[in-house]
Amino acid sequence: MSKKKIELLGFKRDKWIYNIIIPVLSIITFLLIWELLVRYGIIPTRYLPRPSELINTFIDKLSNPKPEGSTLPMNILSSLRISLSGFLTAVIIGVPLGWFMGWYKPIDRFVKPLFETIRPIPPIAWIPLTILLLGIGIRAKVYIIFFAAFVPCVINAYTGIRLADITLINVAKTCGANNFQIFVKVGIPSSFQMVFAGIRIALGASWTTLVAAEMLAAGSGLGYMILMGRQFARPDLIVLGMLIIGSIGALMAIVLSKIEQRMEVWRFKK
Amino acid sequence: MSVENGKIKLELENISKSYKVKKKDFLVVDNISLEVCKNEFLVLLGPGLSGKTVLLNIIAGIEEPSSGKIFLDGEQIYGTHRSICMVFQKIGLLPWKTVMGNTEIGLKLSGVPKRIRRKTAQKFIEMVGLKGFENAYPHQLSGGMKQRVGIARAYTNNPDILILDEPFGQLDAQTRYSMQDEILRIWEIQKKTIIFVTNNIEEAIYLGERIILFGKCPAKVKEVYDIKLQRPRNNMDPDFLKLRKLISSNMDIDLGV
Amino acid sequence: METKKTRFIKKAFYLLLSLSSIALLIIGWIFLASRRPGLFPSPQETWDRLILFLEKPLRGPLYKHVWDSLRRVVIAVAAACGLGVIFGTALGWSRLFKSTFGTIFEIIRPIPPIAWVPLITIWFGIGEFPKILLVFIGTFAIVVINTAAGVMMAEPLYLAVGKIFQANNFQMIREIVLPASIPAIFAGIRTALGVGWAIVLAAEMLGSISGTGFLIARGMQIGDTALIFICMFIIGIIGALLSLFASFIERRVCPWRTEK
Repeated sequence: MSKKKIELLGFKRDKWIYNIIIPVLSIITFLLIWELLVRYGIIPTRYLPRPSELINTFIDKLSNPKPEGSTLPMNILSSLRISLSGFLTAVIIGVPLGWFMGWYKPIDRFVKPLFETIRPIPPIAWIPLTILLLGIGIRAKVYIIFFAAFVPCVINAYTGIRLADITLINVAKTCGANNFQIFVKVGIPSSFQMVFAGIRIALGASWTTLVAAEMLAAGSGLGYMILMGRQFARPDLIVLGMLIIGSIGALMAIVLSKIEQRMEVWRFKK
Repeated sequence: MSVENGKIKLELENISKSYKVKKKDFLVVDNISLEVCKNEFLVLLGPGLSGKTVLLNIIAGIEEPSSGKIFLDGEQIYGTHRSICMVFQKIGLLPWKTVMGNTEIGLKLSGVPKRIRRKTAQKFIEMVGLKGFENAYPHQLSGGMKQRVGIARAYTNNPDILILDEPFGQLDAQTRYSMQDEILRIWEIQKKTIIFVTNNIEEAIYLGERIILFGKCPAKVKEVYDIKLQRPRNNMDPDFLKLRKLISSNMDIDLGV
Repeated sequence: METKKTRFIKKAFYLLLSLSSIALLIIGWIFLASRRPGLFPSPQETWDRLILFLEKPLRGPLYKHVWDSLRRVVIAVAAACGLGVIFGTALGWSRLFKSTFGTIFEIIRPIPPIAWVPLITIWFGIGEFPKILLVFIGTFAIVVINTAAGVMMAEPLYLAVGKIFQANNFQMIREIVLPASIPAIFAGIRTALGVGWAIVLAAEMLGSISGTGFLIARGMQIGDTALIFICMFIIGIIGALLSLFASFIERRVCPWRTEK
């Protein structure tokens, strides 16, 4: 058993081994294999750049607007701006809507048919219509991202508030609280976990949809950059873009988790 | 040792177990040494959360002791063993398998061919009184029936030692009483060494030939009682009640501290 | 106190609300259509366009395009399930596997499937395989994560049963861990079907000569909004059907799940 082996070595910290050393070694091995495969021509360079080359591309792109017209920071900012504005709008409108729909039956019955017609349509499918009606500008992209993030926010807020503990609700009722007060003091807080899960999904969806929107409606941004990478036969740009898109997506998720943890502590304190 | 079959089947020697909770050691089992005789009905009695379940898990092999040794028929054993089977408090029937599937699982995992293991399992399904339910799924059965499958499953594997961890704890009172008679009946048909854990004094006196009394956590052997009452036992019997008083007085002091 | 009468009135009221919102939708549609006649077709015009399409197919009849899209999704998701369950089980069961291949997986996973399109196009062009590969990449991650979660959350009680009855590693996985994880795996498959459907559309929009995504992109290019409407409608229906289908299968395979 590996635990015995490590105890023999004198370390009882196999947590260190499994969580840090082995992963790092794996990544290094992976990069090495990648580098060697391309360097010795097993994978032609027109298919895949070398990892070492990627570093150069990265440094270059920090200040070089060629070939598609924007530097890397400009692309990143453009993408972030659009996706976050669409995302935040969706959260601000969608979560309260979900709460109201989940709590007040008349609102539910009225909004639900509209919502259910929109829900099965993937956000991607909204892109052609939006582009046709609103052109290829920023407004169109924000709308599309709004659609993508809106649905999970509503659904999760709706489900979350409906799962509120009936015991707690009854307790509040006996204390003489009216419906609206129970809504705010009991319903909304008990939905937090689901709401955050929905926000997490919405964040992922908005980032993904942004990339799709940028690829279909030209202009600037990371999605546009990798599309142009194909145009100009620059696989290094493509891979660089892919990695940055992935990293930013992961970073945003981590930031969201931290915020969620903070809110949990704050909620308990209340 | 005043049990008829004086041969010792299982021996625990200085078993201790502690868990690390936030860098502090939390002792759950405190230096337990005891002996179990062949084919005896031994009851381990103690209040809830006294660490009895952890001790059972150590005997069954699903947890490792922090220190100490276990001997089966004189040989030291580590981890799980073919001859030791367990009936769980939470029953633990695999929900995707039928009654037959659950019962025969021990044999299936040991590679016994289908025809033979089906026959053996069938015998025990009938023995616990569930004939006709071979193809039922656990979610279709009542609590008592599920636990009977648990017992059949353990018996089918033909272990020498059977461990039952508060097996009737989740059942209603009525079912519990009938299951107590059931386990005695099954034990009479096929004698095995039984280690039965409970927190209920009456159940302990009703079932056990010997009762080992445990204190609060950490688990320590407080007292050992030989039960010499004739079977079938009656919980209104004056001797029964005398025993009950004796044992419970020891338990009460415990809970008070 | 609620009498039968008040309950009935309430129900009627709710029904009225639902119907009125649908009515509002249709009215709004017609209104918008009259305001922007060139760009926004009315329900009538959309219907006419559908009939026209059925008579004069666009690079193939309508059902062929829908079938092409579905076919790609099903093949890709099936492959993703097969490989994904294996990979996910290994990930959930073995710590070593998780630290090595799991790390690489975690680095590649955040890259949205769409972002793979340019790279895959350079490698494989615009045929059937690159589209299926794209859907595969997107859905593989979902199946893996769900499977790994299911394996890691396998009820310890069942694992204890396995240990006591002398199951070896392989038997544990086959007899206990996998069946216990099936609800989680199927939840993953259900999500994967939905996501796969969206990905295949995106792939087709970005370069294809057949498929529902191709149709809707064509509509966008030639300004045929009615066609876009038709496509969106079909896309929505198929998406909903896929979801229902997956739920149905899930209920058949794990009957004990509903008891919980």
